[in-house]
Amino acid sequence: MNASAISLPHGDDGHSHGHDDGHHDGHGHHGPVLQYQPGLPLTRGKLIMWLFLSTEIMFFAALLGSYVVLRFGAPVWPKPHHVHLSEPIGAFNTFVLICSSVTIVLALESARANKAGLAKLWMLLTLLLGTLFLGVKGYEYQAKFSHGIFPQAPRSRIYEKPDLYYGSAVRARLGEPAIMDKLKELDDTPADKLTAEQVSARARLQQIRKMVASPEQQAFDLAVVADQVMPLPTEGPGGSHAGGGGEGGGHGGHASGLNDIFPWLKLPAVIPGGNMWASTYFLLTGFHAIHVMVGLIVFAILLGYKLGPKDAGKIENAGLYWHFVDLVWIFLFPLLYLF
Amino acid sequence: MSDHDIHAAHAHGPITRVGDIPAHDDHDHAGHAHESGHDHGHDQGHGGIGQYLLVFLALCGLTTMSFLTYSPFWPWRDQPHVGWAFMMAVSCTKAMLVVLFFMHVFWEANWKYVLTIPAAMMAIFLALMLVPDVGMRNRMVSQERALHMARTSDVRLMEQAAEAKALAELAEPAAH
Repeated sequence: MNASAISLPHGDDGHSHGHDDGHHDGHGHHGPVLQYQPGLPLTRGKLIMWLFLSTEIMFFAALLGSYVVLRFGAPVWPKPHHVHLSEPIGAFNTFVLICSSVTIVLALESARANKAGLAKLWMLLTLLLGTLFLGVKGYEYQAKFSHGIFPQAPRSRIYEKPDLYYGSAVRARLGEPAIMDKLKELDDTPADKLTAEQVSARARLQQIRKMVASPEQQAFDLAVVADQVMPLPTEGPGGSHAGGGGEGGGHGGHASGLNDIFPWLKLPAVIPGGNMWASTYFLLTGFHAIHVMVGLIVFAILLGYKLGPKDAGKIENAGLYWHFVDLVWIFLFPLLYLF
Repeated sequence: MSDHDIHAAHAHGPITRVGDIPAHDDHDHAGHAHESGHDHGHDQGHGGIGQYLLVFLALCGLTTMSFLTYSPFWPWRDQPHVGWAFMMAVSCTKAMLVVLFFMHVFWEANWKYVLTIPAAMMAIFLALMLVPDVGMRNRMVSQERALHMARTSDVRLMEQAAEAKALAELAEPAAH
């Protein structure tokens, strides 16, 4: 037993006190002290929570395990920058969740110390931090959606490779009546009404329109088209070991992609391995976000209680769940953002 | 174990931890009596706010460490496996800290092993069982699938296109 190995200031260590001062709750003084008690040495709520958490361990282990296995079995996997993941944002979210783990633990301590007001404050702070996490997550999702990265086909504009299928998809998009109107409008706009970036982008757009329609199209042309529509950004700060040396400064960011300069264009983009990435990313973070939402609902309900010592059990169980959610993110963050 | 013990235990309802409920009653009073004493009294003998803050700082430090692998100061940028192993070690350490201290498992009775060890083992086996069918799914693929799936050569092609584009953009002002 761990408890008996730790010397406690006073109170709950029936192991050491029970026999000499005739501790009134009648616990024995050796071993688990449970001979009289038909159950495990924890409250029922906590037992149920831990059983639930052990199923949750397996649930997320299945998701994370499949992610890892899919990722390392894939011939290509997008770099975090290829799919517009921002490491600092992910690290910030990690920090937010860790903070919320601390605040819920402090809420529990305050409730046990019979400081209901303080417990409420910590609980409210936990709720706010959880909401902040979801807000940041929503912002990140928005960044994916705006680049056409969706988990499924009708909305997803991700192509695996710059091949003929990709070329015909670009051609089809450029041939849509609404887009053709927009393109005509763009072509007719005098250059002085556009920014320098837009003028350059318009010239590049005209080039790729010719390229996808050309009968003498080469395989490399489609790679150029894909790169114009949404370039694969080079690695993060200081680490552009993939592309050429001078690449990083000039147009290393993805902002130079035609889809970014003309948001209405919404051309299909190429991210090798991007579809599997999107499936796993949205599944993992989505299930995690659902868990966060459930936690927030629980906190909101708990805020309706007094949060004195009598409610400490409830806070503890909610806290256990919340720490587990934090735990999952601790693994998700490096696996998704840094690998 | 005497009958008296059994009786006493039941009188408290579902007491599940040694001295749980009496301890709370005692220490609520103690907490009121002297401010400094409550920290040690109420929390079932573990932690205290100082320890939680210590764990919090450790977690922040560890997060920064895994973030370090992404920074230019990381010396093994060209060997991603080093970074991965490092990050997983950091993550496992963080997970242990959260489980042991925030989830109070460090102070729990032996039932913790009954729940966590089988769950952890099943989690590991589950991932391993996926390896042959999922992890090695691309060892043998049909001609058609090989034709349509992304390869590293596609990434290289796009990188070459990016470099060619840089040239095209240099040429562009001259054309205008």
